[in-house]
Amino acid sequence: MTAPLILGIETSCDETGVGLVRGTTLLANAVASSVDEHVRFGGVVPEVASRAHLEAVVPTLHRALDEAQVGLDDVDAVAVTAGPGLAGALMVGVSAAKALAVALDKPLYGVNHLVGHVAAEQLENGPLTEPVVALLVSGGHTEILQVDDVATAAELLGQTIDDAAGEAFDKVARLIGLKYPGGPHIQRAAADGDPSAIRFPRGLTGQRDMARHRYDFSFSGLKTAVARWVETAERAGDPVPVGDVAAGFQEAVADVLTAKAVLACQERGISTMVLAGGVAANARLRELTQQRCEAAGIELRQPRFSLCTDNGAMIAALGAAVVERGLPPSRFEFGSDSSLPVTEVLI
Amino acid sequence: MIEIDVPAADDMTQLGHRLADELAAGDVVLLGGDLGAGKTTLAQGVGDGLGVRGPITSPTFVLARVHPSLVEGPPMVHVDAYRLGGWDELEDIDLEATLDEAVTLIEWGEGVAEGLAGDRLEVHIDRGRGGDDNETRHVRLTGVGPRWDELRLRQLVLTS
Repeated sequence: MTAPLILGIETSCDETGVGLVRGTTLLANAVASSVDEHVRFGGVVPEVASRAHLEAVVPTLHRALDEAQVGLDDVDAVAVTAGPGLAGALMVGVSAAKALAVALDKPLYGVNHLVGHVAAEQLENGPLTEPVVALLVSGGHTEILQVDDVATAAELLGQTIDDAAGEAFDKVARLIGLKYPGGPHIQRAAADGDPSAIRFPRGLTGQRDMARHRYDFSFSGLKTAVARWVETAERAGDPVPVGDVAAGFQEAVADVLTAKAVLACQERGISTMVLAGGVAANARLRELTQQRCEAAGIELRQPRFSLCTDNGAMIAALGAAVVERGLPPSRFEFGSDSSLPVTEVLI
Repeated sequence: MIEIDVPAADDMTQLGHRLADELAAGDVVLLGGDLGAGKTTLAQGVGDGLGVRGPITSPTFVLARVHPSLVEGPPMVHVDAYRLGGWDELEDIDLEATLDEAVTLIEWGEGVAEGLAGDRLEVHIDRGRGGDDNETRHVRLTGVGPRWDELRLRQLVLTS
C-alpha cells in the first residue's frame, strides 16, 4: 500500500512553499521567494511578505502539483505551518490550507515550522533514528532542539538571547560594506581572507555564561567587536581588510554554533545531529560541523540546500509523520501562532 | 537633557531597571545609537524591570514584538525601525493600536518615530570609538513634552 499523499504549505517568512510528500518520499518542492522585494529593506518586511504570499500561493500550488504529476483530488491530507513566524505571513498560508481542506474535504494539520526543518531531513536520508539534536540557523532563528519523536516530542535546549545568526551576518555585511543578504556575500569575501588573522569573541562561552546559558547563543557582542575593529582601522587611515574581517567573523559564528551543538549531543548522550536552516548553506559552517561531529563520533545529517531553507516539502514531511502516527487533525478553528513553542509539534 | 556614563553591560541593564520604574502605560521611548551600542541590552533591562515575558531579543527580523506583563503591569512593545524607510512604513505596523495600554520602546526610532507621541523620552547611546577595551557608553536622555521634565530625568540618574 502506498503512503498517503500529503500537501504541505509554508508561509512563515519570505518564502511561499508548497510541497508534496508520500511517507518520506519527496514528490514536489515548489518555492516562490519575495527576497528580491526585500533587498531594498535589508531584511524581511512583514507587510511586503504577506502581500507576496497572497500573490504566490496559488501559482506555487499549481507548480507543485505539476511537478509531482498529481491532481488536487489525489491529496489525502493538508499540512500547514501554524507558527512560529511573522503573524501576517502565517495567516496567508493557514487561510489557504483551510480553504483547500474544506474544498477537498480532507483533514488539516497545523504544524510547527521548527520541527518541520528537522522532518525535512527524512526526505533526504530516510527515517530519522531519534533522539536527535537539531541545530537550526537562519535569518530569524538560532536554536538547538532535542527531538525525541519528530511527530510528537521536541524540546528547546537553547537559543539566541539577542541577534539571530543570520541577522548577525546581515548586519556585519553592512558594517564592512557588503550587500544584503549578508550570508553569501560574507562567505565570498571570507574566501580571500585569513580566518585566524583577527580573533573575534565567542559569545556566552565563558565559565559564568556556560553555567547560565549553556546552549544559548549571543551574537550582539560579536557584532560590536567587528564594528570596533573596523572603526579602529578606519581611524588609523588603514584600508579595512574585508576578507580577513569576513573570515574572522564567519569563523567565530561557525565555532560557537558547532561547539555548543556538539556539546549538547555529548551531554545528552545523543549520537545524531541534524543541521538545517538557511545559514546551513554556509560552507564553513557545514565543514566545521562535519569535522567536529566526526571527531566526536556523531552522525551528521543535513538535507540538500533546497530542503534546508524554508519550504513546503518540510511541512508535508512533518504532516506525513503525524498522519502515519494516526494523530487527530487540528481543530478547524485553529489560528496561526507567531510565537508557537517548539514543544507544540501539532496544534 | 541629561548625560551619563554607563561603564558596562550590567550597568546598562541597571539603567533599564531604573527607567522601568518611571515608565507607565502610554509611554514612548526612542532608543538611538550605532550598531552594537547597547540598545537591546537597555531594552532587556527595561523589560526585566517591567516584569514582562521574555526573552527580549533583537526585534530586527520581526520589526515589532509584544511582551505581555507577568505582573499585571503594562505590556512592552519592542520595535525596531532599522529596516523601515520612514514614517509611512512605521504606520504600516500599526503601533497606535497598542500605544495607550503599553510601554513602547523603539530602537532606531530617531528621525522616524517622533510623530508617534508628543511626550516621549529619547535615549541616545554612544559607544566610545576605536578598538580599546573601554566598554563605557555615553547615554544622553532627552525628555520631550511635559511628561518628561528635567527634574524627573535627574532623579532617574541620581538614584543610580
